[in-house]
Amino acid sequence: MTNPILSVKDLSVRFGAATVVDDVSFAVAPGESFGLVGESGSGKSTILRTIMGLNQDWSGEILVDGQPAASDSRRKFARRVQMVFQDPYASLHPRHLIGKAIAEPMRIHGMDNADARALDLLDLIGLGRNFAYRYPHELSGGQRQRVAIARALSLSPKLLLLDEPTSALDVSVQAEILNLLNTLRKELNLTFVIVSHNLAVVSYMCDRLMVMQNARMVENVTRAQLRNGELKADYTRDFVAASRL
Amino acid sequence: MTGALAEIRNLRIAFPTENGGWHQAVRGVSFSLGREKLGIVGESGSGKSLSGRALLGVLPDYARVEADVLSFDGIDLLRASRGERRKLRGSRLGMVLQDPKFSLNPVMTAGAQIMEAVRIGNRRISSAEAKKATLAILESLHIRDPELVFDRYPHELSGGMGQRIMIAMMVVREPDLLIADEPTSALDVTVQMQVLSILDELVTRRQMGLIFISHDLQLVSRFCDRIIVMYAGQIVETLNAKELGAAQHPYTKGLLACLPTIDGPLSPLPTLQRDAAWMDTL
Repeated sequence: MTNPILSVKDLSVRFGAATVVDDVSFAVAPGESFGLVGESGSGKSTILRTIMGLNQDWSGEILVDGQPAASDSRRKFARRVQMVFQDPYASLHPRHLIGKAIAEPMRIHGMDNADARALDLLDLIGLGRNFAYRYPHELSGGQRQRVAIARALSLSPKLLLLDEPTSALDVSVQAEILNLLNTLRKELNLTFVIVSHNLAVVSYMCDRLMVMQNARMVENVTRAQLRNGELKADYTRDFVAASRL
Repeated sequence: MTGALAEIRNLRIAFPTENGGWHQAVRGVSFSLGREKLGIVGESGSGKSLSGRALLGVLPDYARVEADVLSFDGIDLLRASRGERRKLRGSRLGMVLQDPKFSLNPVMTAGAQIMEAVRIGNRRISSAEAKKATLAILESLHIRDPELVFDRYPHELSGGMGQRIMIAMMVVREPDLLIADEPTSALDVTVQMQVLSILDELVTRRQMGLIFISHDLQLVSRFCDRIIVMYAGQIVETLNAKELGAAQHPYTKGLLACLPTIDGPLSPLPTLQRDAAWMDTL
């Protein structure tokens, strides 16, 4: 890949004595949607968190837009990469109004019209600006996840890391959120890295995916290979078989 | 149905609202259950968990529960005293909850929690025997090293293992009816299949009745004999699990259609178009 927007090389992450990510490498092209798949505990979320700088003890190389993630100031980095977390019930401040939650990153970055832009973002993600004056507890899970997406988009990043974005939601709501994410990716030219244990979601959302097991990379496949069953590793085949049932 | 294990007729559950009124969360649910696997599916807020909990009698005191019939094995649960109902819960009715992280006692070892369940059922049992029963049930749940797991605390166990501990606590008393509320939604697909096959084995071997509450239609249709689909506190459709594809109600069809599949098209997913008429299908 010539100019990947995200390149991870020989990444290892340790929690004390345990190695939770072991020598993982992958690269994501601009505009691509890349999936990380595996059982819980396989290290896929840890990779996202490490990219975001939420884990300290790691080795290897993480480049975003060709620049080492660690060399960037946190602030500059936040404008390029943002993350959406799994549980929309835990990721929003319960006592901040929705409008404030979305405007906060922009305020931290000293941007003008943070509040006005927050309202625009609420329109963009399909909730409407009236939601600015509500609290998280007044919103359903799907509505909250939309807010989390709006907040992640507030600094206009190019790369969005999505950690199980729909696994806490009803299937009917999942469909709406996945459609929204796809629309946003097209309109805003975003790159996605999506972590999920749901192979159907990844096959629907991602052009390419990496399968992980026990902290290690098992196999990299394209969507076409996944769908045609062109899989090399036994583990991947088992995983696909269990998901197809 | 005669000889039904559990019978619910016209169950209504309401919660007080801020303005002094009542919010009807369950609106006239009726079904009877034999020694079979019954699935209840629906979105969050459809009343599926509440219906299961009403049977157990574990709804909060401020909830208003009314029914024409609410019975378990011929026992009228509406007339039963608190003590009688507690006794039923301890022995003949069991419930497995969704998330082992929140449902197990974090400061007790897995073994101690299962032993506690054993000893509540039989207070005269010696602790050596209770431990033996605990190890036996762990083994029957396909845990490879029961002795090791016995001494582990919940935070030292994976989700799948924790879920099996919860199942062990419930089935060690050999209940006649097990209510499993999203027992596998916190688990990975591979572990999910394991846990389901364990449940299936137990239900078949011990001739239990099982109510399986889930939002996952596909999963329920593979696992259960019969499916009840709930929407906004009512049953919209009852299906033979094998005939999920022949579902008639637009809500059931909508739920099925909005699932992405591994081989499915990449066009936008159909979303559920809710029809106000579904609110009063009955």
